[in-house]
Amino acid sequence: MITKTFACPDCKTRITGQGNPGEKVQIVCPNCGKKGVAVFPSVKTEEKAYVNIIEIINLTKHFGKVRANDGVNFSVRKGEIFGFLGPNGAGKTTAIKLMMGLTHPTSGEVRIGGNKVQIDTIDIRKYIGYLPEQIGFYDNLTPVQTLNFFCELKGVDKSIVMNLLKDVGLEDTIDRKVGTFSKGMKQLLGIAQAMIGNPAIYVLDEPMGGLDARWVKIVREKIMMLNKAGATIVFSSHILSEVQNVCHRVSVINKGKIIAENTIDNLNQYLRIIPRLEINIPGLNGKVPEGIVNIQGVEMAEAKGDLLLVTCDSSARPIVLNFIEKKGMTVSNFKTIEPSLEDAFVKLISKQEGVT
Amino acid sequence: MAFINLRSIYSVAKKEFMDNIRNKWIIAMMIIFLLLTILASYLAGGQAGGEETFGGMEDTVVTILSISTLLIPIIAIMLGYSTISGEAESGSLSILLTYPIKRIDVLLGKLFGLGSVLIFSIVVGFGTGGLIIAATVGAAEGIAYLAFIALTSVLGLMYLSLSICISAFCKKRVTSIAGGVMIFFWAMIYGMIIFGILLATGITFEEFMTPGFAYPDWLFQSIFFSPGDMYQMSVMQAFGLSQAFGFTIEAPEYLSLGILTFAQFIWILVPLILAYIFFKRRDI
Repeated sequence: MITKTFACPDCKTRITGQGNPGEKVQIVCPNCGKKGVAVFPSVKTEEKAYVNIIEIINLTKHFGKVRANDGVNFSVRKGEIFGFLGPNGAGKTTAIKLMMGLTHPTSGEVRIGGNKVQIDTIDIRKYIGYLPEQIGFYDNLTPVQTLNFFCELKGVDKSIVMNLLKDVGLEDTIDRKVGTFSKGMKQLLGIAQAMIGNPAIYVLDEPMGGLDARWVKIVREKIMMLNKAGATIVFSSHILSEVQNVCHRVSVINKGKIIAENTIDNLNQYLRIIPRLEINIPGLNGKVPEGIVNIQGVEMAEAKGDLLLVTCDSSARPIVLNFIEKKGMTVSNFKTIEPSLEDAFVKLISKQEGVT
Repeated sequence: MAFINLRSIYSVAKKEFMDNIRNKWIIAMMIIFLLLTILASYLAGGQAGGEETFGGMEDTVVTILSISTLLIPIIAIMLGYSTISGEAESGSLSILLTYPIKRIDVLLGKLFGLGSVLIFSIVVGFGTGGLIIAATVGAAEGIAYLAFIALTSVLGLMYLSLSICISAFCKKRVTSIAGGVMIFFWAMIYGMIIFGILLATGITFEEFMTPGFAYPDWLFQSIFFSPGDMYQMSVMQAFGLSQAFGFTIEAPEYLSLGILTFAQFIWILVPLILAYIFFKRRDI
C-alpha cells in the first residue's frame, strides 16, 4: 500500500490517495471537478534481476496411497523472505524435508544454489540452517553441550555458543539438561542451533509454532534481522498473520499441490478480492449517503462516524467519489484498504476444492 | 572424497557417550554387574568349600556366565533398540541429518559411542569385581579373566549391532521395542528349537545328560547361530574348561577361540551392513 499526493493539473489542489503499487485510480478533483488518472508507482524490487537460490522442480512424494506432495514447483529468490503457506496436513513439512534431503522424493528434485539435494549431499548443508517442525534434542545433554556438538559437526568455533544462547534468551538455563526443557525452550534452542555458522539460507518449519505471543514477536524480528543481514529465509506457517507482514513472496500449498505463488499483492489481484475504498467525509455522522449502493460496481457501503467504507470495483471508485461530491459533501481524504492474506487463503482453498 | 569422516564419527560417538552414560538405567546396570561379580565370587567360594570367603576367578566366571549371558544382551538392547527410530520420532535426527554429515558417519558414531558406554560399564562392573577377587583370593587366571571381560564386550557388541539394525529398520519406537524383545528371546527360542530337533533325532534326555556322550556335529555347528552360545563356548575355551553347568563337553577343533571370535565378528558386521542399508533408505 502506497500513499501518494497528486496535484490537480488545473487548479493545483492537492489530493492524497492510497493504492496498491502499479494501480491506476481515476480521481476527480474535489475543487474544480476535473477527472484524471492517478498512477501509483510500482515497487522497484519487483523489477530487479533475481537469482533463484532454491528451486523445487516437479517434486512428488507418495506415502503409500497418500500423495503428500504431488508435482510441487516453486522457487525461492536470493535474499528474500519466502512464506510457505498451507493448512495443516497440506504437505508443507513433506516438501521441506525433501528440500533438506531428509527424505527420498518419489520423483522430481530440489536444487539449492544449482546443486541437486540428495541424502548425504554434505557440501550444501554447511550454508543452511534448519529448524524442523518437531524439535528434539538429547535429553541428558545441557544446552551448551548440545550446541557444542552441532558446532563440531559444522566445523564452527565453539566460542559462539554462549552468544547464541544469549541471543535466544536461554542464558539462564545453561546448567539444565535439555530433557527438562519446555516445548518453547526447545524451539528457542532450535533457533540458536539453526544460526550456527551464519548460514546464507534458513529453512524454518513452523518457527513460531508453540511459542507465546512475546516470543512470536521476537522470532519474527529475528527473521527480519537475519534477512537484513543478507540471509535468504524460507518459513512455513499455517497462521497467515505470521506471514503477512514479514514475507516478500508466498507460496500456498493445499493437498500436496501448489495453488499459488506470488507476492501478497499480486495474489489478491489474481483472486480479484475487491479492496475497500475508505473515504473521509467530515460531517458524515455514520449515515450512508442515499443511493450509493445503486451505483454500478458497488457491492456494499457502510458508515462509521465520518468514515465511509465502500466495497467496489476500482472502475466504480471515481463515480463513487463524484457521487459524494454531487451530494454536497467534501472528501477530505480517501484510501483503498488491501484485503488480508487470510481472505486470499480462504478463497484459494475454497477455489481449489470447488474444482476438484 | 573419503567414504567416512573420522572427525564426524568422533563427534557423534562422543555425544552418544555423554548422553547415554548419564542414563540412570545404564548406571543401575553397572552397579548390578559389580554386585553380581562379588556375589558370584562369594557363592563360588562357598560352593568350593574352601576356607576363603571368595572364590577364585575361574569359579567366579563359571558362576557368572549364565547371568551375564542374559544381562549383557539386555543392556546392549537397551542402548541400541531405539537409537535411530527413537531419535527419528523425537525429531533430533532430522536436525542432525541436515548438518554436513553422512548417514554412514552417524551410524558408525552411534556404534562406537554406544559401544563405549557398553564396554565402559562391563569394565567398571566386572573389572572392579575382578580387582576385588585379585586382592582377596589372588590373580590366578588373571589373563583369562581379562579375556572374559573382552569376550563379554564382544557379546555386547553383537547384540548392540543387532539392536541398532532393529532401530534402523523399525519406523517407530514401539515397534523397535518389539524387535528388541524378539532378538533378546531369540537365544532361548533357538535353543528350544535345537533341543527339539535333538530329541526328534532319537537322542533321549538321559543320553544328553550323560557325561561323555558324543554330541552330533550339527549340534556344535548350531552354536554359530546363537551369539549367547558362542560367547559361553569362547569363555570356556579361554579358561580351558571342558566342564560347566554339570556338562562335560569335548568341543571339536573348529570351535577354537580364533574361529569363534571370527564368527562373532561376522555377527557384528552383518547386522551393521543391514543397518546401513535400512538407514540410508529411510525417510526421516
